[in-house]
Amino acid sequence: MSEILRLENLCKQFGGIVVADDISLTLSAGEILGLIGPNGAGKTSLFNLVSGVVQPDSGRIFLQGQPLEGPLHRRARAGVVRTWQHMRLFRSMTVLENMLVATREYPGESMLRSMFATASVRRAEAEARGRAMDLLARMGLTQAADSIVVDLPFGQQKLIGLARALMNDGRCLLLDEPMAGVEGSNYETMQRIVRDEAAAGRAVCVVEHNVSFIKDLCTHAVFMAQGKILQRGSVDELTRSRELTELYFGTVEDHADA
Amino acid sequence: MEYLANAGMLIGIYIILAASYNLIIGYGGLNTIAHPIFFALGAYTAALLGIGTTLPSVVCVLAGIGVAVVASVALAVTTLRIEGDYLLIASLGFQLGLLQLVNNFEFTGGPSGLSNIPVTITGPGRGWLYLLICAVLVVVVVWLIWRAMAGPFGRAVRAMRDDELACAALGRSLITMKIVIFAFGCGAAGLAGGLYAYYFQYISPEQFNVAQSATILTMVVLGGIGTTWGPLIGAFVLVALPQAITFMQLPSSLVGPLQGIIFTVLVILFLFVRPHGLVGRREAGVAH
Repeated sequence: MSEILRLENLCKQFGGIVVADDISLTLSAGEILGLIGPNGAGKTSLFNLVSGVVQPDSGRIFLQGQPLEGPLHRRARAGVVRTWQHMRLFRSMTVLENMLVATREYPGESMLRSMFATASVRRAEAEARGRAMDLLARMGLTQAADSIVVDLPFGQQKLIGLARALMNDGRCLLLDEPMAGVEGSNYETMQRIVRDEAAAGRAVCVVEHNVSFIKDLCTHAVFMAQGKILQRGSVDELTRSRELTELYFGTVEDHADA
Repeated sequence: MEYLANAGMLIGIYIILAASYNLIIGYGGLNTIAHPIFFALGAYTAALLGIGTTLPSVVCVLAGIGVAVVASVALAVTTLRIEGDYLLIASLGFQLGLLQLVNNFEFTGGPSGLSNIPVTITGPGRGWLYLLICAVLVVVVVWLIWRAMAGPFGRAVRAMRDDELACAALGRSLITMKIVIFAFGCGAAGLAGGLYAYYFQYISPEQFNVAQSATILTMVVLGGIGTTWGPLIGAFVLVALPQAITFMQLPSSLVGPLQGIIFTVLVILFLFVRPHGLVGRREAGVAH
């Protein structure tokens, strides 16, 4: 498997709080890596460091061998795209509009080109529209395309968050709690799409509290606590580890039979 | 006749100012109050070139637009990189500082301004010809803003206004979009300045002070912030209303304060009754 993302000795500290303590990690094409650990372990902070929301104090990030640096939008254009625990959808806009903004190249970002709707902008728009409708069809959400995004049920909004990120078509996908509050058919859909995208060659990293989702989806997982990676292994290994379970749940005794 | 042409020119000029300010503050979400200073930069540049050189008036007006754009980009690049409402403070400082300079330099005419701006169009049809030029420019400016905001650029700008972090994380460069919006809006203000200088042939620093900022802001808020037609209606109402008051033959000592009272009452009334302005959505409350 070819390596997509490599983190080397990432460190980040906010005042006295260490959110990343010498983190090194690789992520390969086709892999779905689970990121687990108690609240405050630094899972979302790691996503923030990789996507460029915050800059590391030290350490380096590589995407397909190239240094991944600079502000958020450059990293997205390099092909690292993330979702958010609280979705952060564009509330005033329709599903389709949310998705159209998210293409990696967006000729409409130039005011002049947009104003005069040059042929290239129109072509790019038509192509993006086609891709967006395909994605929605795969999710069974075709009929929601023109709904204002906040009018949809919560589970569908989560799917739109993923669909929007997929418009980027980047090689590295960071999913922050994709399953929180998602049930039923939307749960199945989320699993299917994430699995398909990994199979298509994307490297996927998932922060998730839903351990059964991680078990179903991920071959490997990383256990984090207090900004450190404590162990990397198969999901079964990690969930069987008495020491890690204790860290996760506080005490082992209460959950010994779980 | 000349009175009507004057009023028409004022309405046109204020529509350009309000529409471009609405682009910056309403669509772009960029909090600045210094719009009149870019109006001033356009007006003074065009006037000084008109007085001091033999350049055609169109070139002088274009130069005014250029100066306004360059100044706005300089202000935006230095302030937008810093988080928070630094632009608001910086724009106020920029406006007050530059006005001080205009007030004190000799070549700008100091507090008494410039009154010897050359005549470009003469004859009985002057007013109407100017009005026609102004109307064409109003249509062009409003159309360009509408066109930009209705298309893919406007979509990205709305996304930015909804959620800056999410928008940037999808690859959109917020700083580029903000600078472009600011530069375009300020360039339009520069154009309004050039028109003003050549038509009224008299400019002075007090026309570009903070009271002018308040007037343009009122037009945008009253008409409907972040809407296409709001600034047009706001500009029309707020230029026409004071003109109408002058017809009431009140003593001149009353007219000034009365206009101030009406402006203030209108703003307060609108904040309560129609916070989204005349053409904005009807329901009260904060937009989400």
